[in-house]
Amino acid sequence: MVEAAEPSPESAVGHIDEDAIVRERTGLAWVGGSVLDLLGAARAMYSVFVKTLYYSVRGVRRPGAVAQQMYEVGNKSLVFLCVVMGFIGMILVFQAGLQAKRVVPDLSLLGATFLELLVRDLAASISALMLATRVGAGIAAEIGSMVVTEQVDALRMCAADPVDYLIVPRFKASIVMTTVLVVLAAGVAFTTGMLTGYAFFDINPRTFVNMSMVDAGDLTIGLAKCVAYGAAIPVVSGYCGLSTFGGSEGVGWATTRAVVNASLAVIILNFFISGAGFLIFG
Amino acid sequence: MIELSGITKSFDRPVLRGVNLRVPDGCLYGLIGPGASGKSVLLKIIVGLIRPDAGTVTIRGRDVFAMSDLELQEFRKQIGMLFQNNALFDFMTVADNIAFPLRRLFNLPEDEVRQRVAERLAVVSLPGFEDRLPSGLSGGQKKRVGVARATVAQAPIVLYDEPAAGLDPVTSQKIFDLLRAEQRAAGATVIMVSSDLDRLLTVTDRVGMMYRGQLIFDGTTQQAQESTDPYVHQFVHGIPEGPL
Repeated sequence: MVEAAEPSPESAVGHIDEDAIVRERTGLAWVGGSVLDLLGAARAMYSVFVKTLYYSVRGVRRPGAVAQQMYEVGNKSLVFLCVVMGFIGMILVFQAGLQAKRVVPDLSLLGATFLELLVRDLAASISALMLATRVGAGIAAEIGSMVVTEQVDALRMCAADPVDYLIVPRFKASIVMTTVLVVLAAGVAFTTGMLTGYAFFDINPRTFVNMSMVDAGDLTIGLAKCVAYGAAIPVVSGYCGLSTFGGSEGVGWATTRAVVNASLAVIILNFFISGAGFLIFG
Repeated sequence: MIELSGITKSFDRPVLRGVNLRVPDGCLYGLIGPGASGKSVLLKIIVGLIRPDAGTVTIRGRDVFAMSDLELQEFRKQIGMLFQNNALFDFMTVADNIAFPLRRLFNLPEDEVRQRVAERLAVVSLPGFEDRLPSGLSGGQKKRVGVARATVAQAPIVLYDEPAAGLDPVTSQKIFDLLRAEQRAAGATVIMVSSDLDRLLTVTDRVGMMYRGQLIFDGTTQQAQESTDPYVHQFVHGIPEGPL
């Protein structure tokens, strides 16, 4: 046994000046601190992404975990996404038709250009933005709640890395289901666009369904976006969930950050993939 | 031996300020102190869940924060922990919660896992609760399931954060007696944080008191009870007037 030691409370505690320890950042320190915080967050997010890739190959297999997440990400988003993309299809064709009619009398290529736009960009990007709000918020809230109730700590104590246990199943499910949902959503948007073209501009559906402008490059870019967005949403929102701090207010902030950051990630990825696609396929 | 040296940690404010602590092997150590004095953070630092800003944690001669993630995962097989909020996985049944450390850490046959889960549930007076979800349990029942999970692996080092919070006095005393009996039988090293001093001090070998992020007392249970230090005396005897 160790001998008892009774340090004096006065000597141990009394001299500490808390105000001197806790200082507010001002001016340049605030800017520098914010930049450092941002770099730290980017590094941590990158670390989560690398870990996710590692555990996707080497992690512990849990039967049913990915299937359950595919249901959560895919099936539960289906109606929401179809309704949104249905309206988007109608709005886009209606507005595009109105503008085009002022310039050219012939709208026979409206369907072909609309389909190319959907395949190359809009179907994936708009669907991903919708998924970032619905799925991203859900992931961040669920993981954030587990953080504040110490469940994530309990996972760590049982040799279960939270990235492996919580993010990897969502990552795999999201990549598959985002692709499936985007294909369905593109179909819905094209169908409602076709009906709009027929109703308002008298474009025959046989004329509207024109795939002549869609080539392998468009399909490749569209598919690349599906995979990239599907990977980014769970990683970004999972990171936001894992970095939750505090109580229910912290979970709220984590959810908000997840939606904002996941949406931002979709936009930034869109920029780079579109740019790369333009350079490679024209 | 669990040895902490110069542990310092700040979040937005300093939480721990140079804590030095030695818990000998086979000792049941009670960690007491007012709320927000850094006790729970200290427990999480001991098991490597929170990295300190400065200082070292050595358990059985190994520096916890010098280990790689994989080494730490392996090392945690030797440690059981009850969290302050129980930390039951709300998407798992009671049985799966208790079995989780056994399945993850020890890869035992499923028959043995089930047997040990049933035995733990009987010990914490919750037989037949295997298929219930944590959301359907009272606060006290959750705490007892948490105790069952923390002790199911029979780890040589166990940390309990408020093992009796939310329990009635009788169940509370039973839990303390049970944890003491199991600690003696296994020769385990235990650190127990509790606000229920009347019961805690009936089972501890040694006591440390935290105040404003510092360990201001470290001694035997008897020394704590007889201490004339105004902080320790006031806290241990629950006196409203004093420096705290």
